Amino acid sequence: MTYSTVVEIRNLQKSYDQKLVLQGINLEITSGQIIGYIGPNGAGKSTTVKILCGLISDFDGEITIFGKDLRTKTIEIKRQLGYIPENAALYESLTPMEFMEFVGEMRGLGNEQTRVKAEALMNIFEMKPHLHQRIATFSKGMRQKVLICSALLHNPDLIFMDEPLSGLDANSVIMVKEMLIHLAREGKTIFYSSHLMDVVEKISDRIILIDQGLVIADGSFDDLNKLSHDENLEKMFTRLTGNTDHSVKAEAFIHAFEK
Amino acid sequence: MINLILKLFVPFRWFIEKMGADYNQFIRILKLKLTLDDRRINKYSRKQESDQEKTLIKQSFYQILMGAFFGMFLIMINEPFTFFYLSHSFLMVMMAMMIISEFSTILFDTSENVIIQPLPIKGNTVSLARNAHVFIYLTMMAFCLSVITIVIAIYKFGDLPGLIFIVTIFLNVLFTLFFTNILYLGIMRMVSGERLKNLLMYFQIAIAIFFMAAYQIGLRLVDKTALQQMVLPVHWYTYLFPPAFFSGLIEAIIKLNFDLSHYIFIAESLIVPLIAIYFTGRYLTPIFNRKLLELEQGDRVSKIKTETARKSIYFRIMSKLFVQNIEEKAAFKLMWKMTGRERQFKQTLLPSFGYIIIMVILPNLGKHASLSDFTSGYKYLLILYVLIMVSFTLCTSLLIGDYQTSTWVFKSMPLKSPASFFKGAIKAAFAKYFIPFYILICTAVCLLWGIKVLPDLIIAFLAIYLITILLYYFQQPDFPFTKEKSAVQGGANSIKVFGLMFLAGAIGALHYLLLMWFDFANLMLIPIYIGAIFYLNRIMVYKEITWKKVDQVNNYS
Repeated sequence: MTYSTVVEIRNLQKSYDQKLVLQGINLEITSGQIIGYIGPNGAGKSTTVKILCGLISDFDGEITIFGKDLRTKTIEIKRQLGYIPENAALYESLTPMEFMEFVGEMRGLGNEQTRVKAEALMNIFEMKPHLHQRIATFSKGMRQKVLICSALLHNPDLIFMDEPLSGLDANSVIMVKEMLIHLAREGKTIFYSSHLMDVVEKISDRIILIDQGLVIADGSFDDLNKLSHDENLEKMFTRLTGNTDHSVKAEAFIHAFEK
Repeated sequence: MINLILKLFVPFRWFIEKMGADYNQFIRILKLKLTLDDRRINKYSRKQESDQEKTLIKQSFYQILMGAFFGMFLIMINEPFTFFYLSHSFLMVMMAMMIISEFSTILFDTSENVIIQPLPIKGNTVSLARNAHVFIYLTMMAFCLSVITIVIAIYKFGDLPGLIFIVTIFLNVLFTLFFTNILYLGIMRMVSGERLKNLLMYFQIAIAIFFMAAYQIGLRLVDKTALQQMVLPVHWYTYLFPPAFFSGLIEAIIKLNFDLSHYIFIAESLIVPLIAIYFTGRYLTPIFNRKLLELEQGDRVSKIKTETARKSIYFRIMSKLFVQNIEEKAAFKLMWKMTGRERQFKQTLLPSFGYIIIMVILPNLGKHASLSDFTSGYKYLLILYVLIMVSFTLCTSLLIGDYQTSTWVFKSMPLKSPASFFKGAIKAAFAKYFIPFYILICTAVCLLWGIKVLPDLIIAFLAIYLITILLYYFQQPDFPFTKEKSAVQGGANSIKVFGLMFLAGAIGALHYLLLMWFDFANLMLIPIYIGAIFYLNRIMVYKEITWKKVDQVNNYS
């Protein structure tokens, strides 16, 4: 398989109310890879994902996706993107089928094609019996399944996932992980943002760690491990983000509520 | 301010505990609710706290203004019993409407259950705190509505009656709260789950229209020349009307008349609200809570019937008539379904149909001696053009909802312009709600004036459609169902309503003048309106609703 550059980010900066959230991110992402995008809370992960998906348009720096400038060719780029947001915000008075029909139509898919695909995707998640039930009655995991299905409906080449496993049951988690590996093999690029270090470690071809809006580590787990000799990604993460005193903190915590 | 409000509950500690609540927990929950209200900002929009404050000030100002209007009417009444009877009736009606439209969400809010239920909170504490929360806002509202009446009462009857009037306002609030609880419990006993929510919505709409009708009819029944001497006779059933309790108490003080009749009123005004609130706290709230939990549980398991828009012939016809491209069609379909299901939308829009009939059409019908007198001229134009007010409500109702976080779906779509979505949205709402209503009105007009008015019906329809899309395309481009009700209604909108009334009058007058000029002159308007609609829908909307403008007011969390 030949790998081509899918995403190119040059000096990406973003600030909210004069606070610089992204301080100059530089990345080049090639096709057929699963990118584990990790970082502590408030590091700028979701902001990066939202910018790349075209949800936030006021940023500084240059971004090209599929060789096109994100600022000027947003629509063309969005046609090839799939996005699973962090919080499962959906229109609760709709049913999954209705929501996906809407998404499908907006993405230019035919009604019949959307329905067949939606049914097939939801069936795999064992959600077929709930296809015509309102989303308001769904649990968090069920909503997440709707989001995953609707993001993949149009067979995107680049998929952005912000905590996609949130709320999913164990079987669905395994299924989604397997699916991501298969999709990457097919040449699709997956940008996977998560706090679940074990999952990121297992499925990612490349791990990008950001902290305070800057990339502080970038490479495959093996490459990074050669430099750091950490036991696992979790250990590496804590060391690189400067939080190694967990047991001291845990003890202090216990002491505080037992006092 | 919060601490001051909470201190007002201190003298009633024994009473609160008597109702089965833990006083300290009660105060803590109430403090939490008031603090949350105090800090509440629309976190999903870019509006800041000051806007929230402005909304509160605007609402209070509006209430004071309404109270002042009513006060102007009361100033003519010299008889104290009548004066206070009418003021308390007005207050009760306004508060009942307020509970129905605004505070039902607080009374039925189960979102905090997940936080509060695991805590060791005693019996009725949570529901009492919930009622107290509503009570505080109702009291504030009652005082805003009565501030002018209090001044008039002091001026007309003296300081002490004015003071007693203030006390009776508190008692009135307590009683109204009890009455609403009873009413809701009655409905909750009949149905449950999603059906209950729908029933409550239609009940609220019916009540809103009923009160408006009662108010209109009541005003017309009053002979204004007899107002000064207006005396309300006391029958046996007068003792059953809560406003009579309170007015009887004040009258007894003013006239120093303590006969049996007044003793009954005094006893009722002091005892009934207290018994009512004790009964509410002790017995009704536990049932209410249980029903609320059932409601929440029911929602989890109940399968909700969903209509399929595709199957409707009317939908297909409207879709063919109105929709221009695929994106617009998708939005049209989505909004067709959602406007049929979103309760807040229906709750805001549907009463306006009733209001139009009650406030404008029926009074005009009633002014004329005979039907032939009424149908002799061009009065149908007034009936048709007044419907522009409904189209205004349609545009604002579409904004109201809790979907601030769901808008990411639009932004993540490959749409060149968001205009298609906005076009689909307003067209769906217009086709689904306005057109059937318009057809109904047209049928009545045709029956009264004959088929000859058909061209005028078409012209008026085009004019209303033109104004509707004009209003919608040129308002702030918030995605549908993303704004709080308080942010959409109120001050600035009142100015818009006046402006719109003027516009409706102007285009109605233009239509009328053309009719008077020569036969078929009115038909000139058809190509003008069609041209304008075409220009707005095909060109102007894409210039007006751009991603830049949409991004400024929507947040894609």
